[in-house]
Amino acid sequence: MKDASIDNLIDDLAGDLAPVRPRRVARGSLWVAAGWVGGAAALVWIFGMRKDLVVHGMPPLSMLAFWLTAATGLAATWSALRMGLPGVGRDYGGWRWAVGASLSLPLAALAACIADGHAAMEAARHGFGLRCLLQGLASGLGVGAALFFWLRAGAPTSPTRAGWVIGIAAGAAGATIVALHCSSDEVVHIAFWHGSAVLLSAIAGRLILPRFLRW
Amino acid sequence: MSPDEPSLARLMTASQRGDRAAYRALLVGCRRWLERYFARRIAPHQIDDLVQETLVSMHRKLATWDSGRAFLPWLAAIARYRWIDMLRRQRDEAELGDNDAAVGAGDEAVHARLSIDHLLALLPPKQAQAITLVKIEGASIAEASQICGQSESLVKVNIHRGLKKLAELIESE
Repeated sequence: MKDASIDNLIDDLAGDLAPVRPRRVARGSLWVAAGWVGGAAALVWIFGMRKDLVVHGMPPLSMLAFWLTAATGLAATWSALRMGLPGVGRDYGGWRWAVGASLSLPLAALAACIADGHAAMEAARHGFGLRCLLQGLASGLGVGAALFFWLRAGAPTSPTRAGWVIGIAAGAAGATIVALHCSSDEVVHIAFWHGSAVLLSAIAGRLILPRFLRW
Repeated sequence: MSPDEPSLARLMTASQRGDRAAYRALLVGCRRWLERYFARRIAPHQIDDLVQETLVSMHRKLATWDSGRAFLPWLAAIARYRWIDMLRRQRDEAELGDNDAAVGAGDEAVHARLSIDHLLALLPPKQAQAITLVKIEGASIAEASQICGQSESLVKVNIHRGLKKLAELIESE
């Protein structure tokens, strides 16, 4: 009975076959790049670029934070893109190393707090903290959406992990975009407010996305 | 005869182009491979259902195979995903108190147990015992409760936690 039903299923599936275009990571990368550039263009267009960026370039500390965050975003993006094309034995864990490296920012901020707590709190309070956080979250939506639709059409075998990774990629992308606008060069500000965009985005990705990524 | 990787990969490439005869041959080959794959992992009465679910998933996700990569790891990833999904459903059933997943105690059932034994050995003994009694041997919660000397609710909790951990173990395989 079961044999017959599997035979029938095979006949139905074969009859239902239509040509498909194999999914390529390169195409997904273009979606993500468009989301990243689109988010940056929107933020710069609405709020403007930090004034010293064109003339002097970014100060060293902000530059270091920018590239650490960008590396985290790129590594998470790469992992998420690969998760869409499953295969036993494939390693999707490269993003963990980038996240580990970028933890040097909050550690540096913690060291600054220990050295001079009052000055660190002032630095965290100075400027546009909450605004940076919200801008970071909003700017990463383009990358988050690109990865979400890529994985929704793909076959992620661990939706929970995929939710985390999409959130980290989106948050890190948003944090790099905010760095183009935010003029604060304080490590405490960058680690706390820009870093919170990555953290909150990751938590949102974990809580919201897995149910939509199941297949 | 068991299907080999190069033949399956060739058939898959043709299937992605819309060749129905190749696709039919591919599905027949995959069915054989999946039956062997699941025979080492689940109770015999569940194999056909899981093979069918995996073939349907494979059909829906045909575009996610990249011809530059091996075919069988792709098929195994889909099979593993469906297997985990089944374990999660069983866990949810255990949570709801549905314990009618009975299995015949013939040779086949014993054979299927051998393959899952190494996974059960990784669980705390009480969880492994509850899963073995209820989900593999087909005992009721009340019977398992008497055999284990645990309350019925504790048996349910152990099944729930054990199946959750099993799914995590398989996922990290």
